[in-house]
Amino acid sequence: MRRILEYGAVVVIALLLNFLLPRALPGGPMKLFGSPEALSRLTEAERAQIAQQYGFGRPLPEQFADYLTGVFTLDLGTSLSDGRPVAEAIGEALPWTLLLVGTSIVITCVLGVALGVLGALRRRRGGGAGLLGTAIVLDSLPAFWLGMLLIVVFGVQLNVLPTYGAGTLAHLVLPVTTLVVTGLGYFFLYTRSSMLTVLTSEPVQHAHARGVPYGRLVRRHALRPALLPVHTIVLMEIGFLAGGSIVIETVFAYPGLGRLTFGAISARDYPLMQGAFLVLTLMVVAMNAIADATYPLLDPRARQ
Amino acid sequence: MRALGRQGRTGLALLAVITAAAVYGLLLPDSAGTARIGEPYAPPGPGLPLGADDLGRSLLDQLLVGAATSLGLGFLVALVVTALAAVIGGAAAIGPRWLSSLIMRSIDVMLILPELILFILAAAFLGQSFGIRVAILVVLMWPVPARVLRAGMLTAWSRGHLEVARAMGAPRWWLLLRHGSYLIGPLLIPVFVRAAMRAILYDATLSFLGLGDPTAPSWGTTLYWVQVNGVFLSEAWVWWALPPGLAITLSVLALALIGTAVEERLNPALKEVPA
Repeated sequence: MRRILEYGAVVVIALLLNFLLPRALPGGPMKLFGSPEALSRLTEAERAQIAQQYGFGRPLPEQFADYLTGVFTLDLGTSLSDGRPVAEAIGEALPWTLLLVGTSIVITCVLGVALGVLGALRRRRGGGAGLLGTAIVLDSLPAFWLGMLLIVVFGVQLNVLPTYGAGTLAHLVLPVTTLVVTGLGYFFLYTRSSMLTVLTSEPVQHAHARGVPYGRLVRRHALRPALLPVHTIVLMEIGFLAGGSIVIETVFAYPGLGRLTFGAISARDYPLMQGAFLVLTLMVVAMNAIADATYPLLDPRARQ
Repeated sequence: MRALGRQGRTGLALLAVITAAAVYGLLLPDSAGTARIGEPYAPPGPGLPLGADDLGRSLLDQLLVGAATSLGLGFLVALVVTALAAVIGGAAAIGPRWLSSLIMRSIDVMLILPELILFILAAAFLGQSFGIRVAILVVLMWPVPARVLRAGMLTAWSRGHLEVARAMGAPRWWLLLRHGSYLIGPLLIPVFVRAAMRAILYDATLSFLGLGDPTAPSWGTTLYWVQVNGVFLSEAWVWWALPPGLAITLSVLALALIGTAVEERLNPALKEVPA
């Protein structure tokens, strides 16, 4: 119940931010309709007409009600750069982003957990230290830069993988690799430290003292409690990867929501920008809700 | 120094080198990195150790000035975030119950919101000056550290000597500061380091998207021009795209190494695991 209220609060905040930020623009919401030069060519009457048409003169609560109606009827306005309905442009781009982010999340989680457990078990051996060092380095790489390097190596020098666009599996390889590699480090570090904490915990130490064989100790006694807190990281990872998609789709000219957003930012196409951000935020919130709802499957204590 | 181990010392050494570069960058004239002093697309040569960009601006100067901007912003954000998180986390730990639950609920809500997306959104609408970027980062970044510090303060608060002192009736915040600060103080270091790390990465990402301050050279902005000009299709990427990316990676890496080392030192339990 509390979680539902929290998600409600999150959606309200996302909507409010999306509504208020354009109105907080230096120069007012009129800037939504074009560059300063273009605006300065407008006559006073034309300005008044735009303000009238979009209701900027009316009280804020009334405008907000209108905005909400628009959101719920999927009427997000029209793009300034090509005159298309924003909802249509987003509808075309969204599946591509879901594909990219979804694939990356699954691979990152599986690989991150596996390597994290391995890193914890091999803590004192060379392999473990190597894993730890690699994870810290990977965690420090800026995603967009890694993407560029991958393009240089696999696209330009070796010429084996497509570096832009989407459509085939090969197109997914480089963007997904970039997202996974930059997202993996944090996941690994967290799983590893969680596993280490559980290995020192009393139940596990007790089982160890009872003479439970090591493999069984790890599988039966340590693994499950160690993976519970990792759940929180999945939530953070979702936000991280969705944010990363803005950057990565730009680097790889991938036709998803991220690139749409970037294009809108560059063109100062505020209605499109606003709509894309709203959908991206809601996408993250929805994914979080799914991850949250599946948590009781992992932890019997959360089932009451 | 020795207490930090090899990892931590490597991190400190790296950070020292980058800080030195940043200080040198601060000493350069204002026009450094923005003035056209060479041929456009000039390869590295005398006077231009890293060549020039599409407008003939020195790439080395951009790198040095960028070091000052990045580290400056990172440390400033980290400082404010740590202070804010300490106050909010402290209030959640020893404040009245309603305040505590209000803070914890807000943190839960903030954690669901995607930071990077909101950061880009806010920067796109509110403007790109240094102060605004710092403010946005602080607003988005305080929740995680506040939660960490609250936990630390609760642990400190339950210590025996604090309980004794509490019985004497001094104000709670005074007790925490006077008798708990030696326990809480060290916790601030990893919080500070992690905040600086994330601030540097986020800010570079923002500049890479073309949302940085266009008048000030920065690592992310240089990489933005790399992307716009398709530099990686030519050999210029070696001196144009590699150095700023490496600079970002090494700065974040230095901080990460220091952070991990301090954490291991604070939590020796991490070292005593049956292998």
